[in-house]
Amino acid sequence: MSEEYRFIGKSTRRKDATEIVTGATRYLNDIKFTDLLHGKVLRSPHPHAIIKRIDSSRAEQLPGVKAVLAWEDVPDWKAGTPRILRVLDRKVRFVGDVVALVAATSEEIARQACGLIDVEYEILPAVFDMEEAMKPGAPQLYDELPGNIVTPGTPAFGPHSLKEVVMGDVEQGFREADVISEGTFGYENIPNPIPPEPPGAVALWEEPNRVTLWVSNQASYLDKILMFHVFGKKVEVRTHGMACGGSFGTKIMSWPVQTYATLLSKATGRPVKVVFSKEEHIAAFVLRPGSRMQAKVGMKRDGTVTAVSGRWLVDTGYYSSTTQAQVAVGCGEIQLMTRCANWDLKTDIVCTNRNASGCVRGFGGQELKCSFIPLLCQAMEQINLDPVEFIKKNYVKPGDGYFWRDGAWYTYRGVDYTDAIERGAKLFGWKEKWQGWLKPSAVAGVKRRGIGVGVHGNADIGEDSSEAWVRLNPDGTALLYSCITEHGTGQRSNYLKMVAEVLQLPMERVSITPADSLINPFEYGPFGSRGTYAIGSAAIAAAEDARRQILELVAPRLGVKAEELETVDGLIFVKDNPGKSIKWGAMGYDRTVMGYGRFDPDFTLANCMTTFVEVEVDTETGKVDLLRVVNTTDVGQIIDPPGLEGQLNGCLGSSGIDSALFEETTFDMTTGHILNPNLIDYKWRTFSELPSIDNVVLETPVASHRFKAIGVGEVATSPGPMAILMAVSNAIGVWLHEYPATPERVLKALGKIPGKARSGGAA
Amino acid sequence: MVAAKVKSVFPAKRVSFHVNGTCVELDIGSQPHQVETSHTLAHTLRETLGLTGTKVTCDNGACGSCTVLMDGTAILSCMTLTVECHGRSITTIEGLQDPDTGRLDPLQQSFIDHTAFQCGFCTPGMILSAKALLNETPSPAEEEVKEALSGNFCRCISHYQVLRAVMAVAGSGEVKHV
Amino acid sequence: MRPFTHINARTIRQAVSALAKFDGNARLNAGGTDLFGILKDEFLPAYPEAIVNIKTVTGLDYIREDKGLLRIGALTRLADIAKSPLLRERYGALAETAHAVASPQIRNVATLAGNLCQDVRCCYYRYPHHIGGPIACARKGNGPCLAVKGDNRNHAVMGGRRCFAACPSDTAVALTLYDAQLLAVGPTAERRIAVRDFYTPLGNQLNNDEMVKEIQIPVITEPAQQSFLKFTLRKPIDFAIVSVAALVATKDGICAEARIALGAVAPGAVRAVTAEEFLRGRAINDETAAQAGVLALADARPLSRNAYKIQIAQTLVARALLGQDSATVVNVSHAYDPTELSTFHRCSSPASQGYATVVDSEHR
Repeated sequence: MSEEYRFIGKSTRRKDATEIVTGATRYLNDIKFTDLLHGKVLRSPHPHAIIKRIDSSRAEQLPGVKAVLAWEDVPDWKAGTPRILRVLDRKVRFVGDVVALVAATSEEIARQACGLIDVEYEILPAVFDMEEAMKPGAPQLYDELPGNIVTPGTPAFGPHSLKEVVMGDVEQGFREADVISEGTFGYENIPNPIPPEPPGAVALWEEPNRVTLWVSNQASYLDKILMFHVFGKKVEVRTHGMACGGSFGTKIMSWPVQTYATLLSKATGRPVKVVFSKEEHIAAFVLRPGSRMQAKVGMKRDGTVTAVSGRWLVDTGYYSSTTQAQVAVGCGEIQLMTRCANWDLKTDIVCTNRNASGCVRGFGGQELKCSFIPLLCQAMEQINLDPVEFIKKNYVKPGDGYFWRDGAWYTYRGVDYTDAIERGAKLFGWKEKWQGWLKPSAVAGVKRRGIGVGVHGNADIGEDSSEAWVRLNPDGTALLYSCITEHGTGQRSNYLKMVAEVLQLPMERVSITPADSLINPFEYGPFGSRGTYAIGSAAIAAAEDARRQILELVAPRLGVKAEELETVDGLIFVKDNPGKSIKWGAMGYDRTVMGYGRFDPDFTLANCMTTFVEVEVDTETGKVDLLRVVNTTDVGQIIDPPGLEGQLNGCLGSSGIDSALFEETTFDMTTGHILNPNLIDYKWRTFSELPSIDNVVLETPVASHRFKAIGVGEVATSPGPMAILMAVSNAIGVWLHEYPATPERVLKALGKIPGKARSGGAA
Repeated sequence: MVAAKVKSVFPAKRVSFHVNGTCVELDIGSQPHQVETSHTLAHTLRETLGLTGTKVTCDNGACGSCTVLMDGTAILSCMTLTVECHGRSITTIEGLQDPDTGRLDPLQQSFIDHTAFQCGFCTPGMILSAKALLNETPSPAEEEVKEALSGNFCRCISHYQVLRAVMAVAGSGEVKHV
Repeated sequence: MRPFTHINARTIRQAVSALAKFDGNARLNAGGTDLFGILKDEFLPAYPEAIVNIKTVTGLDYIREDKGLLRIGALTRLADIAKSPLLRERYGALAETAHAVASPQIRNVATLAGNLCQDVRCCYYRYPHHIGGPIACARKGNGPCLAVKGDNRNHAVMGGRRCFAACPSDTAVALTLYDAQLLAVGPTAERRIAVRDFYTPLGNQLNNDEMVKEIQIPVITEPAQQSFLKFTLRKPIDFAIVSVAALVATKDGICAEARIALGAVAPGAVRAVTAEEFLRGRAINDETAAQAGVLALADARPLSRNAYKIQIAQTLVARALLGQDSATVVNVSHAYDPTELSTFHRCSSPASQGYATVVDSEHR
């Protein structure tokens, strides 16, 4: 720590702590409405079909049913990027796609009514594999997307949205290489972060064109904007962001549930709640993108990467919303971890007939690196290069440049992470344990241990814009206006901590508005670890502006210039003469002071998370146990130690490290069904299976905002999966390239699967 | 003869049980104000009694979010029929505070002190699972705490801070039996 | 859940009569942990008209030895079986199987008979109604088994016919090891069914007007080494990928009695008779244990994706016979021995390195 603060860097109690431990926190499903109706979704049994006929008369006759809506009954609203997916369509594109909506006086009646809707389908051939989908003659999901290739680039990132990494001369680069590695690697288990609270929304429509939405989302102001566009820019949208029971990026894709609630409220004139079941949450919401990379990399003996060429295929499922943005950010992130002058990396996003992929913590970079790092490993093996040395050498250094998401070139001005990587490696004991590629770090009988390392970071910590106001009240309290929901990171408390530090007010005297889009200024929301720097900057600037104003206001009363004043605990005094003071109340009971702060995007800082893992493999059963994790990073300045620790421990959850061990969405490649839409068959980390975790956090001041801090929360999940595959491969002495490293795959790699399988069909 | 036997087994008309020390009596039936036979305890607690501190995540017995205490033992309220709770004593997260002083249960306080939550959605279930353990085993070893919480799902990974919070009060003698 | 008639049975007769009255359209409810999953997901062709609560039947919760039999009441909870001193001392494999089931909250309500009668976990069979409708299958009598050509990683490697779902019950494995029987009560008579014969590829032997009253185990008097190993991806929650229970009695280093039961590899729990015979009269060592493992799986005929279960089952048989723990066969010695499960290291770092504070962005 380079500076001592009153609150920043100290463990302070979360503002919402008492409510959370007493069950008083209000999540979306906990609020009460009068006259509330419950909405349910009838979902498609087919992966690809045309709805030829829908007869909802039986459903409409069920007592308690207030509305049944199918594609013909709703406005021509469209979602997706590009905007080609009708919110209720005549075509269904995956098993679980929306067919009809029902509103009724109880959930059970709505559910039963769904069963009374008669639908006749014309079944179309379906396609589930990216490369199959791209072939001539493959089933086409959209007329607008020939070859099922999604229009590249996202308007959100401007006209030059990054779609590829192309620079230098790859042919020359490969000539300079000492070793060339080539192959196809994938991260295709489409895991699902599955926050506990399911997606949901309550809508109240008011004629002619206004809707109020109560939402569960990490970024509730963005819902206002996204839904405005889905609703054809003809509907005024107000959002109330409730406490959010986990999101991990996914709930920014809540437009379906918000649209369904809105349509049903519009049809009934009553508030309508739609909350997905856990089964719907897993089978019909958001998965990680599938990632497959066919590439070639050239490397020198010292770890210098001379060239990267290839093609990155991304499976977005039945539509894309954020996938182009994930590809853009992934293309940026690969440059952050690979200092290379010659690139020819192309990308394609492909639609297939399965549940959608989209926004998830790790946003493109995790998916890309899980496919790319195995390729690098094979090159490193050939020259016997220690991967930690590779990472240290190749992670972005001050003065380096990269293309970021808008296609522009940025020069990095953050810290050199070598120190952080070395400290983590030391605590882990990397040098003592590293025996070389495909060599276990320890062997005893049938058990073998192996180690691995992964790295991830992004330059999104300063992405997008934020606005905030801080209001100073005459009673010596302050109110932060920021459209922020609490989704687990403690951010609502953290911004108050920053405001309290600027204003030197006790924490209990600062509070924050509810996340209501009507009363708060613009807030993009917490993505890409941007909260600390981007949102924090706006809150800090607003507090500084308010502080300046109040000092200017009272300076004449004290007969000094504003610059000579200081304020602590709601008292303003002359710095050189603290006895000369006046309370904030001196502004008058009939006045408040309002400060404004804004943050504009800055892509010149990046975070970095390096994760070391040690696994133990039972070579007779194929079981892989994760024994130990060491995360290491540099955050400039810790804002809240326990909150940060929680974020780093989060590396195990939300389809992070465990997506290399047991987390996967199992999918029937013939019928298109997701086969594990429940929390027994979808595997998650339990208390009985906790590895030891050590988190190493450096605090090298970084030129962000006045507290010299940056965020790292999002990236904690991402380096782990690739580290696990490396560790398992090293333990068993054979390359394992598929995620997750299940007993089945480990035993297969070890040549221990006996016998001949009974041929399919007859039995 | 069979019919005669069955005649004596009518569906119950009322169910009564205690929730957080208060007796609750509910009519069984299909009217909106009644408890339906198919209603789960989680549903009744949240929708009929307004005790929304009990959270439903999977609604299928796999995640522990809806954990409540039944006669002091941890059970899943999503897999329990309300009509089968007759005569039982239920404790929910709302019932852990001292009813007279409003003081938090030491376990709740320890969760606050250790920031043993992130999004907080799984926290009520975690606290009640830990409470059930401490009811039976006031001074558990860390392994026993892990076992007692092994059915509780958390995606943020609050596990490590939860373990610290529970171990901090384990054996302190502060935690009262509920 | 959709509505149903709910009846609290006070006696076994009342329960059985209610089953008869509803003529196959009523279901018994004990712990409810499997039943309500079935009702909520509505994956079966028929939804029951009535639920008959049998927790209100008194006197079915006991563990006692009596006339050469260990008798366990049908409604005895798994949590009580797991911690029973009698079982832990002499029927250790059963106590272990009960402890291995699901989670603490489930074990607090789930009963022994309920664990035996639970439905299979096949992902096609259980696919929920609300995501496009249930999947037709052989077990439901309305279609072919999709697992044969699909994802059969958790399915049976032996004994399947039309349906290849594996037996999900952990306690059935120990009970098969003990040659236990179920005492089933119907409208007119009681009958005994051996646990090892209880399961059929498409269901179990129980008629839909019968109720399990008691589980009977021939008393074990001779001291014997018992073990139960359950292979899962995670310790709690999961159903077994493979499980093995073994009972071994030795005299002068030679095996006098060997019993091996396999779980999750077939529609029911399976005794490895050939392997048992092989072991009798031999010393149990690494080599014979491994051979027994191979013999135990000799009849296995895997589907497209579940052959790995054979290797695991063979390993577990050998380890169970040798009395090894499934988790740590050998402790790998290691330099790192954590004293704290998790740590947070806040490191001081050199002062600001003075990088430019201007945003340095340009198109190239």
